[in-house]
Amino acid sequence: MHVSLLGVSQNLSSQLEFLHLQILSIVTASQLRRIFERRTNFDLRRLLDGTETFLHSMLDRLEFDLAMATSSLHCLRLDPMVRKRVADTLVPTSKVKDILYVILIARGRVVTLIRPKKHSIHPADIHILMNTVHNPSIFNSPAAASWIPICLPKFNPNGFVNAYISFLQRDNPEEPSSAPSPSSPQSSSSASVTDSDSGTALVCISGGADFDTIRSWCDGVTQKLTNEGTLKLLSDCVRSGQAEYTVSELGIPGLRHFVYKSRAQVQVTFPTFEDPYENLTDRRRIITFYQVLHDAIHAKSGQSETLKLQYIRTEKESVMGWITQPFEMYIALSPRLPKSAVVGAANAVSRWVKKEEGRLFLKDAPVF
Amino acid sequence: MSKQFQFKLVLLGESAVGKSSLVLRFVKDQFDDYRESTIGAAFLTQTVTLEDQMTVKFEIWDTAGQERYKSLAPMYYRNANCAVVVYDITQSASLEKARTWIRELQRQADPSIVIALCGNKTDLSARRQVTEEEAKKYADEEGLMWGETSAKTGEGVSDIFMAIAKKLPLTAPSRAGTSRTAPGARAGVDLNKQSASVGQNDNCNC
Repeated sequence: MHVSLLGVSQNLSSQLEFLHLQILSIVTASQLRRIFERRTNFDLRRLLDGTETFLHSMLDRLEFDLAMATSSLHCLRLDPMVRKRVADTLVPTSKVKDILYVILIARGRVVTLIRPKKHSIHPADIHILMNTVHNPSIFNSPAAASWIPICLPKFNPNGFVNAYISFLQRDNPEEPSSAPSPSSPQSSSSASVTDSDSGTALVCISGGADFDTIRSWCDGVTQKLTNEGTLKLLSDCVRSGQAEYTVSELGIPGLRHFVYKSRAQVQVTFPTFEDPYENLTDRRRIITFYQVLHDAIHAKSGQSETLKLQYIRTEKESVMGWITQPFEMYIALSPRLPKSAVVGAANAVSRWVKKEEGRLFLKDAPVF
Repeated sequence: MSKQFQFKLVLLGESAVGKSSLVLRFVKDQFDDYRESTIGAAFLTQTVTLEDQMTVKFEIWDTAGQERYKSLAPMYYRNANCAVVVYDITQSASLEKARTWIRELQRQADPSIVIALCGNKTDLSARRQVTEEEAKKYADEEGLMWGETSAKTGEGVSDIFMAIAKKLPLTAPSRAGTSRTAPGARAGVDLNKQSASVGQNDNCNC
């Protein structure tokens, strides 16, 4: 296993924390505690047999996933009307007992998330789920659905819930459904984190064990999403590239990239990485900068006080982290801009996000 | 007019004996040299047609073989009409495991459950550790169906599922699974007992 080489201790501990949560999702905290109380030298690999890929893919994610780095939810950018249509279809009827969350995922992002009134969902649990759903053993499975026990550690570290996972679309280019797949041991891991997160999946988390009820309900809503054209609307939107945006859409001079976290909504938005952050080395560098800034404004590494704003300029770029009541922002700009222009750009980003909020963030998702 | 019957089938057996490969061959007539371990359980369906225009739809539970998931098995076999217990002919220990599953099924599952013992990986017969005679004798003693398969070459795969389809009581449309709900082997979480206030501020507000 490798842990990405970032000289930031906070980042390392956050990576370890996520690996720990991933392990808990497989064995639960109480089971883990019991085992190590009985035998302190227990080789955990025995218990994790078959789930190594979960840890590998988690490590890959940790390197580049900005939603994880900012502990927030990342939604698919979508026309709010389409999102609402999806959500309205996914509200469970009162007959289906024990449903905890219903989540539709596309391209590794949340399209919508339906939850009971009294339970919000912690972003870390979403990240664990996301990593689980896109695991090759589930994503590549020929099965119509998977039904897996999973512990969502922020919801309840000591118990399992059941996850029904069904891919409505696997937009995997190399898988025309009937071709005999030559199947290689997945050249996974490396760079293409986002590419592995393809497909549209319906995930239903249930506190109960009644698979048949959940399955027939999920089959029903899938039918409905298909018949009413909602699924097509969604996949058109994804395919046409509307779900992504580039920084040029904002038209802010010198702006190269940014990460904006709405603190009230605990959701994050950012443009795709493009020139000069297309290659992995440059992307790693800017993400490291974001992490340094994040660390500083949250005083995560034992700093005596938090900072409201930090500005760093190198010969390659200038970066700034800024925290206010409503948001946290990390921006990367051309190093030639004066600091005043950097602050101006940050303000412009926040105005743009405000204007686009309806499409960027999940708001007013139905509860039941 | 054709009649359709629906049955629940569960696959059990030690990990890496080829349960998922067997199902993949049966359902899609495909084989992958490399398969990830099954996590939890995977659900698939396949419909077969018998000579007399009757069709049998199998609702298949392909369960994970790892010890970690053992306690979940009752959730799948409790409502099953048939079970395929798989072992690997090149690993005699996997037959021992299969015997354990069969004993459990005989004790805990519906008494009318049809059980087939299936020796997989005949393409590797050069490394065979379990003889046909030994397995067949055991199956006969226990009143089980028995067959050998190779998910890789396809040999024997449809035969074993067809044999099961023929053996199932095709008298009335099956109601298995709809009348009873399986009490979960793992206790479900009582949603009402959870306090929603834990770490409220960290939760997304969507």
